[in-house]
Amino acid sequence: MNKRRFNFVQFLLNNSTVFLFIIIFILFGLSSPRTEAGFPRFWSPENMMNIIKQAAVFAGIIGVGMTFVLLTAGIDLSVGSNMYLSVVVAGLLMRSSGLEIVPALLVSLLVGTLFGALNAFAIVRLKIIPFMTTLATLVIGRGLGTAFTSSQQIDFPERMNAFGQTMVLGVIPMPIVVFVLVVIAAWFILARTQFGRQVYAVGNDIEAAKKAGINTDRTLAMVYIISGFCAGLAGFILASQLGGRVDRSFGETREFDAIAAAVLGGTSLFGGAGNVFGTVLGAVLIQMVGTGLQFNLVNLYLQPMVRAFIIFLAIFFDSLREANLKKMKRRFIRPLEVHRADAGD
Amino acid sequence: MTPLIEVHELSKAFFGIAAVKSVSLSLNVGETLGLIGQNGAGKSTLMNLIGGVVHPDTGTMRFKDAPYAPHTPSDAQTAGIAFIHQELNLFTNLSIAENIFISQFPRKGLLRSIDRGAIRQQTRDLLASVGLDLDPDIQVDRISPGERQLVEIAKALYQDAALIILDEPTTSLTARETERLFTIMGQLRSGGKALIYISHILHDVHHLSDHIAVMRDGALVAHDPAANFSVNRMISLMVGRSIEQLYPPRTSTPTTDVALSVKNVTTAGIVENISFDLHRGEVLGLFGLMGSGRTELARMIFGADAYDSGTILVEGEPIKKPSPRASIRSKIAFVTENRREEGLLMGIDIANNISLVSLPDFARTLFDVVNQSEMLDSARAMANVLQLKSGDIAEQPAKALSGGNQQKVVIAKWLLSRPSIFIMDEPTRGIDVGAKYEIYSIIDRLAAEGSGVLIISSELEELIGMCDRILVMSRGELYGEFPRAEFHEERVLRAAFREQDLPVLPVQEPSSAPAGKEEV
Amino acid sequence: MATLREPITPAPGLTRPELRKPRTNASISGWIRRFLLSNNFVLYLTLIFFVVAAIFLPSLRTPGNISNQLQNMYPLLAVAIGQTFVLILGGIDLSVGATMGLTSVIGAVVMAQTLDPTFFDKSPLWGTLMRPEGGLLAGSDLAVPIGVLVMLVAGTCIGWLNGFAITRFNLAPFMVTLVTSTFFGAFALWLTQSRNISGLPEAFVNLGKGDLISIYFGAKLTSDIARREIYSLITYPFIIAVGLAISAQFILSRTVFGRRMFSIGTNRRASEISGVPNRSVITRVYMFSGFCAAVASILYSARLAIGQPSLGGGNLLLDIIGAAVIGGTSLFGGKGSVRGTFFGVAFFVLLLNILNAMQLSPFVIDAVKGLFILVAALLDITRTRLLNREVRA
Repeated sequence: MNKRRFNFVQFLLNNSTVFLFIIIFILFGLSSPRTEAGFPRFWSPENMMNIIKQAAVFAGIIGVGMTFVLLTAGIDLSVGSNMYLSVVVAGLLMRSSGLEIVPALLVSLLVGTLFGALNAFAIVRLKIIPFMTTLATLVIGRGLGTAFTSSQQIDFPERMNAFGQTMVLGVIPMPIVVFVLVVIAAWFILARTQFGRQVYAVGNDIEAAKKAGINTDRTLAMVYIISGFCAGLAGFILASQLGGRVDRSFGETREFDAIAAAVLGGTSLFGGAGNVFGTVLGAVLIQMVGTGLQFNLVNLYLQPMVRAFIIFLAIFFDSLREANLKKMKRRFIRPLEVHRADAGD
Repeated sequence: MTPLIEVHELSKAFFGIAAVKSVSLSLNVGETLGLIGQNGAGKSTLMNLIGGVVHPDTGTMRFKDAPYAPHTPSDAQTAGIAFIHQELNLFTNLSIAENIFISQFPRKGLLRSIDRGAIRQQTRDLLASVGLDLDPDIQVDRISPGERQLVEIAKALYQDAALIILDEPTTSLTARETERLFTIMGQLRSGGKALIYISHILHDVHHLSDHIAVMRDGALVAHDPAANFSVNRMISLMVGRSIEQLYPPRTSTPTTDVALSVKNVTTAGIVENISFDLHRGEVLGLFGLMGSGRTELARMIFGADAYDSGTILVEGEPIKKPSPRASIRSKIAFVTENRREEGLLMGIDIANNISLVSLPDFARTLFDVVNQSEMLDSARAMANVLQLKSGDIAEQPAKALSGGNQQKVVIAKWLLSRPSIFIMDEPTRGIDVGAKYEIYSIIDRLAAEGSGVLIISSELEELIGMCDRILVMSRGELYGEFPRAEFHEERVLRAAFREQDLPVLPVQEPSSAPAGKEEV
Repeated sequence: MATLREPITPAPGLTRPELRKPRTNASISGWIRRFLLSNNFVLYLTLIFFVVAAIFLPSLRTPGNISNQLQNMYPLLAVAIGQTFVLILGGIDLSVGATMGLTSVIGAVVMAQTLDPTFFDKSPLWGTLMRPEGGLLAGSDLAVPIGVLVMLVAGTCIGWLNGFAITRFNLAPFMVTLVTSTFFGAFALWLTQSRNISGLPEAFVNLGKGDLISIYFGAKLTSDIARREIYSLITYPFIIAVGLAISAQFILSRTVFGRRMFSIGTNRRASEISGVPNRSVITRVYMFSGFCAAVASILYSARLAIGQPSLGGGNLLLDIIGAAVIGGTSLFGGKGSVRGTFFGVAFFVLLLNILNAMQLSPFVIDAVKGLFILVAALLDITRTRLLNREVRA
């Protein structure tokens, strides 16, 4: 019944990442080396599969956890260290007491979750701002991890490597399956449960959420715990992909990719907006850029710079979207017949 | 029949100033109570007491024939009272259905997921009962303000509220939406709901209510069946406030030199085609009810907010790129309505607060070093002129002052920059009577020394006490103009309430602006 | 023009509200409160800390150690001062580490006297700015002054970029500086392909140590004194860092600019209404932060005698923010002083010294440092609450 005016600028803004994705996909394909048949190798199914797999372990899974945190207008800078600490504990136990894969994975998940709970405690109970809390736990986590390993590289038993190479149904790499499961679970929680919808409500207006009777402390605590859980999971899977070798730089700056993936995927740093599918798109986009640059033989050192530039674009668009949103929320004191909140579809 | 809600001798004071004085009221099932009064008469406080937002100092309430003393808004909600505020409490990033069920969703299945079919169906029914034909899954930021208002009502219905309080629900609604809202209200009333309706549109109140309660200065001055009221009577009950306020004598008369000229300033949805002149030595009042656009207009004149079109001239010179800095260069001063958010640096000492605007004046050229002693001397002198009551102004932070003294610091800050035009938005809000008198003295002196002063106020009395001329704003338009000779509280109030045909006033000066568009 | 001169008349017959009396605190809790809120809180804390630790760890109180620790303070102090400025505004600058790394590389590229082709032939600058016979100005008398100047300009430019993005596009400071941090950090690594550039001129290296005044304890028995018994007191880094601190304190407390910084950090909207040029002040503060990072980079590079792209990496950022916050600078803006940061830096250096003296592993030290940051943040919150309560009471 409401006629929506089509707003091209808004349409572009709301879908900026999709356009970026398509453009980059085409450009890298056209410039990539070809097979004998003349097909761009960049577009080959193996390469695509590879990109998705790496997206899952590097930025995807923690990006999903980060999405929860960002939805409440918080931030979790500690996920990279959390990945490291979790996998270190699991790895040490595997080596010392011969823990099997599944219990080791559970240990990693437990450590990650407890780490998240520590963040949650400092943020919700001690009321230290998320940025500061997670910056501190970033250092604490890595310090503990390196202390446990005496800064040595951990070599996991061979079964870790085998676990990493598992193909589900003989064709799909294990990390992709895990990623898909995580995404579906996260989507379900965010879109289909009371808690998920309350996360959005808290991010939209925390005061109104309190007035509406939402337990905002619990909601806030939960998102950091979820982010911690994802970090524990991502750490373990990533370690299995690296042939079971974990050195002290493991997981470093991963939080940055996770934030980037989420924000690129339309999750707002200001809270209240975003979803996990966007984060998947963002994570794949980041990985695609990395792989594409490799295909085009771009110097390895340049890749972080390109990544930084893409992230800048992401926050830039996020800020434009937010400005647009504010304009729409402006209070009118005179009825404006033409006024229709004109969000582009 | 016992009343649904009974309020007995309810009182509430803020910082020693009574906001609600011993009010007793009752309301039956199926009745609508219209609540009216000027700004600051205590309506909002009374409703906040009922809604659990603030707690009474003395007095009791009964609801559904049981003692009722809400601690939080959600207590009130649980008890069955829905409070629909002027600023809506909806989550714009959620769907209509989700907004209605956000605190407790019906769930199903092993995974306890939200029963979307159920909430969709229930929401559809609720929306239908408020006459909305909207998809329950549509996100709230994509529906109009009027539709949001009705969604709030639907939410109240879902919570099975027995009493629904509506605070100024029609301000941002179109005529059609307003009409629909009223129809729904009628239906609710016949469905056995009790309603409290607060509005500045007196005709609406009269037309919708069974009873009307009039508040003045925190006290209930009338509570009768609506039939006993005419719009005239409502207005005369609202005025005549018994404030023991004193005004210093005005010591000068305005000149005919135009200091500030506002021409055709328009911003869509906020202000419409505003034009007027402010003269040197004149104290010009801008009166309007809450939400009439007066503050928004003041901010546009000062350049703090942008406007779509129009011109603002100072001494005949248009301000080209409006900004606070441009206005300060043009010698305009702006005392904002909210000292805390936009007036003061609360944690910083008084002297630095006072010198903030004119800091460059105290700078020696090399490195812009502040001449501390000169700055302190000027600040002290200004504090002395304004009779500021404080400790050492170089040490004491602004937040340690009383409201009146804080306001003096804001005024001192601007005085130090030697402005020729003063815009003061609610200059005496929240300050005690003695300090008010002193602020009025300052205003008089400013005018006597040749400044143009524009006072925005929702206290009509003070405008009548201090101004040479009063402009009335309503719904973003100038809706009336009264020279001092024609000051009449009721008439000004009528203009603000749009309860009169436009005043056809004798134009005093040739430069006087048209009194606003004719449109009722 | 309004120029009220005569005092206004008070309202006739109205009594004025009494002045609030300052609260007196005789109780122990009052004493703790005063201690927590004191300007010299961190100084006291550092001293107490030192005295207690010195009893258990005798190595701490040797003159050699003290002299050494003082030298450790200066570069950290330089960069922490810039961060203090940014925090006073209510912002944050995460890019100082990368700025230090990049300026270190840039300076070395200008000044290096010889460059090993086996290390650098993959560098994008090889053959143009970097040659086997050294950097751009290798051998020139102007190499050091121009090199230093280029470093300072580069740091300031990065700061400008941060400030521009923050003010012009309204982006969150921590996101912007996170991005520039990644970008310029990677840029520095790219320029040198992760290699350190050595072979810096003696004149530059001297900036990192050059004793001006040294101290010798003990009797003068022979004409030559063993080098290790001479403790440097006044060095170039001392002069540079303390000079920077004094100028910064001067800007902060004496100039229009300093007042405006506090005003923006306290209440941005009120500042805007009062005609404070918010954008320009904010941009310039970020520029200053970049400048300070470049100064720190000069001190570190000179001391290590290399251009190091990873300079300022690791957890240095945390030391910087931690030092500022412990020194009483609030993360919420509007509060902070160079003096406090000076004490905060001293505290941090001492803390590190103690942890090292206890022979803990570097990683436990990191973990403890992280905890101290949390404690500092908690302290900030507590102090803010105490102050608010004091005013309201």
